[in-house]
Amino acid sequence: MHSVIWPDSLGDYIKSIKSADILVGIPSYNNAKTIGHVVRAVQGGFAKYFPEKKTVLVNSDGGSTDGTMEVVQDATIDSFQSILLSHKVNPFVKIATPYHGIPGKGSAFRRIFEIADYLQIKACAVVDSDLRSITPEWIELLIKPVLEGEFDYVAPLYQRHKYDGTITNSIVYPLTRALYGKRVRQPIGGDFGFSGRLAKYFLSEDVWETDVARYGIDIWMTTTAIANNFKICQSYLGAKIHDPKDPGADLSAMLYQVVGSTFDLMDTYSDVWKNVSKSEPVPTFGFRYDVGLEPVTVNLERMIDRFCLGVQELGFVWKDILPRSLFNFFKDISTASCPQDFIIPDDVWVDTIFSFALATHRKVINREHLLRSLTPLYIGRVASFVVDTINSNAVEVEEKIEVLCTAFERKKTVLLSEWDRKGV
Amino acid sequence: MGPKGGIGMNLIERIMVEPFEKFYEKLLVFLPNLFTSLILLVFGFLLGFFMKWIFMKIFRAINLDGLSQKMGMKDALGRSGFREPLSLILSRILKWFTIITFIIVAMQNLSIPTVEHLIDRMFLYVPNIFTAALILVLGYILGNFFGRAAIIASVNADMKSAGLIGKSVKFIVILLSCTMALEQLGIGKDTIVIAFAIVFGGIIFAFSLAFGLGGKDIAKGYMDRKLKKESNEDEMDHL
Repeated sequence: MHSVIWPDSLGDYIKSIKSADILVGIPSYNNAKTIGHVVRAVQGGFAKYFPEKKTVLVNSDGGSTDGTMEVVQDATIDSFQSILLSHKVNPFVKIATPYHGIPGKGSAFRRIFEIADYLQIKACAVVDSDLRSITPEWIELLIKPVLEGEFDYVAPLYQRHKYDGTITNSIVYPLTRALYGKRVRQPIGGDFGFSGRLAKYFLSEDVWETDVARYGIDIWMTTTAIANNFKICQSYLGAKIHDPKDPGADLSAMLYQVVGSTFDLMDTYSDVWKNVSKSEPVPTFGFRYDVGLEPVTVNLERMIDRFCLGVQELGFVWKDILPRSLFNFFKDISTASCPQDFIIPDDVWVDTIFSFALATHRKVINREHLLRSLTPLYIGRVASFVVDTINSNAVEVEEKIEVLCTAFERKKTVLLSEWDRKGV
Repeated sequence: MGPKGGIGMNLIERIMVEPFEKFYEKLLVFLPNLFTSLILLVFGFLLGFFMKWIFMKIFRAINLDGLSQKMGMKDALGRSGFREPLSLILSRILKWFTIITFIIVAMQNLSIPTVEHLIDRMFLYVPNIFTAALILVLGYILGNFFGRAAIIASVNADMKSAGLIGKSVKFIVILLSCTMALEQLGIGKDTIVIAFAIVFGGIIFAFSLAFGLGGKDIAKGYMDRKLKKESNEDEMDHL
């Protein structure tokens, strides 16, 4: 049985609240600059759309040193008239607490689930603390499908720049869709709604010492909800604009945690995905509209250079993972003289991801070495995507991603036939 | 028969018969030992083959070969010229270990003082050989593991000298294990430790000099990139 250890003052405070209807969690780490806006958007959402409900905001912090928790405590909407509210608004409860365990987003979520479970919350949502485009409507769109539509899990649907969310577009979305048959467009979007029942289920799983405690949390939540037949939908939230990423953030670690969690879930739910042969759309809420997006700078030559360095140095690792024909293809493409010729076709990319998934499943080499060696290939695929879509608009890019998804679904039979076969 | 004939007989007895009698007595003591030793030898060979067979079964049951591939040992062995699977190599080692043990016991059973003395000395030294061998094997495995980790990390950090870094890490770990193994064997104890310290310190010193003098611009550029956001850096949000 899972037992919760609260800090003394927090335990008393939560006991005094007894129960609530809605909870919104915000994981944070040094987000003092942006979290105030997120808190005000959540407060606005509570006041505007759920004035009759008992609402709680939880900031689960990873030990910020820039005063993030103080900003959360101080942030408030001064005048509700500014957001055109005239009705009586119930006060909402605000909790800012540090979490314990492995530092990471997943551990922050765990603390949020614990509080939701204790307060017997009906509907929850989690939103990122670095969002600049969040509005009170996000809270309505993430919570209402749970409260009124009896959905258990609400995934976000955003409009993003064509070069944003490249791990999602090139690996996680197509792979998850092909495996589990649900077209959840942003499975690792970061902002989700879910029922109290599902929060309790998440909490009961023994995953909190794995990569799920870090970047793996998003794909784990989405896959767990789909694979266990919880009722899924997605809500269109508009543009996702957030603080510029931390330049020191390690892409390799991010890729390792997200892709590693996705591959681990393939082992956990192999009995589920083996029986899925095609994908279907999920119910989608929210009013679709076009938004202007901030430009994203990409350095194509540098990406190709990084790919070539990988091909030059990591051949001895990949030979245990990739079929020889794929490795030879990557060697050939690394000698392409012109960046415009740098194209990694969809079929090659699908075979690459399936080869890495199989190698992880068969434990061919040390797991961390295996997954981290994927980074140069991923960068190569992103470079190829940039070359391929340099003049494409959002609709055309989406069509190309759809073609990639179809390739993943078509080639799933190969993965199935190889999955239970021993050896490389 | 006269006294001369008696003296002659005694002389012949002392020169010819007594040694043969002594030899015969020793032979009577030695032959059962020889016979026992031969039996021990035959038994040792049979047990050796049995050990090889039974351990092959055990290693295959626990999928040792799969495990060795996962840990990179298969590659390491392959590069060292061992093409056979690890399970076969270990079974063979156990077979010969059993046979050699029985050969030694059989030789000791012969009760020949010189052989006994040699065996005693050898037995005292054997644990050192085993420990040194174990250190070398572990050093080789760890060298490959850390070398691979270093090269992957360097490639992901976009370091052009990733190959050199990986090889250096592997070389240093193996060099360290060789030093420890030689120290364990008692060969040139102090010389080896001093030589290692000089080589290792020299490498670090050379790197420091190279980075400090020759690569100061690279270091400056690197620090600039880390502290200030590079203008040509990608702004992609990968997640």
